[in-house]
Amino acid sequence: MTESPRPRIMIVDDDEAMRRSMTFLFASVGLEAECHATADEFLAALSMRPRPGPGALILDVRMPGMSGLELQRRLADQDFPLPVVIVTGHGDVPMAVEALKAGAFDFIEKPFKEQYLLDTVEKAVRRSREVLTRDARRRTIEERHARLGRREKEVLERIMAGKPNKVVAYELDLSIKTIEAYRASIMTKMEAGSLAELARMIATVEPGTGSS
Amino acid sequence: MRRAHHSPILSLFFVLLFAATAEAREVRIAVLAFQGSERAVQDFEPTIAQLAASLSEHRFTMVPLDLAGISRAVAEKSVDFVVTNPGDYVDLESRFGVTRLATLESRDRMPPTDTVGSTVIAPNRVGAPKRLADLAGNRLAVVAGDAFGGWRVIHREMDDAGLSPSDLAGLVETGFPMERVVAALREGRADAGVVRACLLEDEIARGMVGAEEFTVVGERQAAGFPCRLSSRPYPDWPFARLAGTSPDLAKAVTASLLSMAPVGGRAWTAPQDYTTVHALFRQLKIGPYAHLARTTFGGFVRAHWHWFLVAAAFVGWWIVHVARVETLVRRRTAELTREIRERERAERAARLHREERDQFSRLGILGEMASNIAHELNQPLAAITNYAEGMTRVIDAGRTDPAFLRDGARGIAGQAERAAAIIRRIRAFVRRREAKRESLDLDDVVHETLALFEGPALRRGASLEVRLAGALPPISADRAELEQVLLNLLQNAVDAMDGAAASGSGIVVSTSREHDTVSVAVRDHGPGLTPEVEAHLFDTFFTTKPQGLGLGLSICRTIVESHGGRLWPTNEPDGGLTMRVALPVPPEDAT
Repeated sequence: MTESPRPRIMIVDDDEAMRRSMTFLFASVGLEAECHATADEFLAALSMRPRPGPGALILDVRMPGMSGLELQRRLADQDFPLPVVIVTGHGDVPMAVEALKAGAFDFIEKPFKEQYLLDTVEKAVRRSREVLTRDARRRTIEERHARLGRREKEVLERIMAGKPNKVVAYELDLSIKTIEAYRASIMTKMEAGSLAELARMIATVEPGTGSS
Repeated sequence: MRRAHHSPILSLFFVLLFAATAEAREVRIAVLAFQGSERAVQDFEPTIAQLAASLSEHRFTMVPLDLAGISRAVAEKSVDFVVTNPGDYVDLESRFGVTRLATLESRDRMPPTDTVGSTVIAPNRVGAPKRLADLAGNRLAVVAGDAFGGWRVIHREMDDAGLSPSDLAGLVETGFPMERVVAALREGRADAGVVRACLLEDEIARGMVGAEEFTVVGERQAAGFPCRLSSRPYPDWPFARLAGTSPDLAKAVTASLLSMAPVGGRAWTAPQDYTTVHALFRQLKIGPYAHLARTTFGGFVRAHWHWFLVAAAFVGWWIVHVARVETLVRRRTAELTREIRERERAERAARLHREERDQFSRLGILGEMASNIAHELNQPLAAITNYAEGMTRVIDAGRTDPAFLRDGARGIAGQAERAAAIIRRIRAFVRRREAKRESLDLDDVVHETLALFEGPALRRGASLEVRLAGALPPISADRAELEQVLLNLLQNAVDAMDGAAASGSGIVVSTSREHDTVSVAVRDHGPGLTPEVEAHLFDTFFTTKPQGLGLGLSICRTIVESHGGRLWPTNEPDGGLTMRVALPVPPEDAT
């Protein structure tokens, strides 16, 4: 569908040597890295570019100021789309478990095998792509859905409930002909080839749009 | 004991007397016949005659007896009256309650009643005794040992002069008559003799003794007494009645006696005071006072009961005092011992506590340090790995990107430098303070360290033998650092011995001097070192102990080397390990 952008790895670590050597390591496998020394710095950068492309966030748990775990919780609250890989010092396993429960993608214990780091990051990037694709698709569907008129949404709702045209026509006090015209218009606007495809689209959107 | 001499003449006289007054009541008068019955009769016949004349209703009979006879007669109450010497009288008075009615007086003497005394005579030659005290060592002639005037009177004077009969060479008893004493002196059987007062003068007057033949020993003055005396005068003989004699008779007899005309200058007068006689007997502890001489404990106690009371009180107090002191001393000693033991225990506990605390704090610091070291070194190491791995990948991928590889190499170098800086910082931390060099005696340092170490060693049951070389040349070193090294070696030795069976040999600490170094060796009898352990012995973080950090020996070696010395292990052929520290002696002090 859309062309896949180069993934970008974000690193938040208070140790400059770690940031730079990781950047070097990622560069050696063709990954672009973006470094931040503190959680606040990262959050500031994030606010300028709310929709990041594919990639992963590598978080050092032990940092001065806001800790890695705290940052992770904040990001989860604002639906940050990228997988978070937690890097812990030796002996921080309970913290790592907590991070995983809070939705971290994985955790790596220092000192780590760089291959493991690279593998984990690669998996995280793949996951990020999936998440981003799904998000993009949902956003598309939401946009199409938003283009429907009031009557069209009422008709779509009843069609999704499995009601035949004449029941819908009866309920909306319209003619069957008019319902059929709306139905064709919905299919066009939602760019759905079939009723089954339309149903799948709505199922994707429904959890997010149901309440609004 | 003398016997009364009953001659036929006397018997006849008695018979005649008895016949003349057969129908009258017989009154028996015992007379002490100290010079024989005849003499007694002669002396007292006028008295009997006077009594017979004035009291015709009674028939008076004179019974001459010796001292024992008189005593027996009085005891048996076979006589009514008794005439005896003052000494015997006092004895009878106290024993049988006889009472004097009159005292013999000599009208030709002054004073007339105190006429009994004694004279000690000695042959008049050069060196003859002058004072009674001079009689010591001489033989003394006396008529009899129980004679009053013949011995006891002088006995008392000798006693006053501090002379006891046992100080004499001997007491020569001559028996009556008293002239025998003179004879004994003449015959040389005695050196001095006791005679009654006036005998000497009487004999001189009779021409029996030369005026200058004898000298008087211990002569004393008695006012108005006509003869030379060696004793104080005593009252003359008393006429006494027995306790059971009728008072009427006694009164009549007394009246008769007092009215008797003097015969030969002798008559009877009012009864005299015999306390001086009592005093004599008391002093000599004889007669009625013989119980004093017997000095039975009971008698002595009775006589000196108040002193005994005082003494008993004192002894009692003393016993109580001694017991009290003993008890107190024992209690104090026990308390002291307990206190000492407690203090020792407290000190030992405090020392243990301090050592443990030091150990913990050291372990705590080292533990903290180790954690810091791990964390701090992890960062540059991880970074280096990242760079190296990145470069490897680039090279493996066949990419030749000099700038990129150069970045990686720079990164590695930078991180290596950072790691080195961390190590330097740790070193500085371990040292913590400036080493302070001072001139030290290695023996001193060892001694002080052992004082610190004794606790843990003893607690673990390891025996510690110390062989100090003595007179070691001084070294320039940091005392605390050397102590740290020694403590470490000692601790290792104790740890090494822990597993080993408790053998006789424990840890041996010795100092020695070799040329220009002094060294201290800590030898244990543990299992020694395996080659693998020996290879890594001084490696940092290499340890064989479960709780060990692997820092001890590496720090020790650093310290020793910073002193220009050497620390090395030697496995002993007969088991165990010796860790030796050799330190250089500064050249100016080395010979």
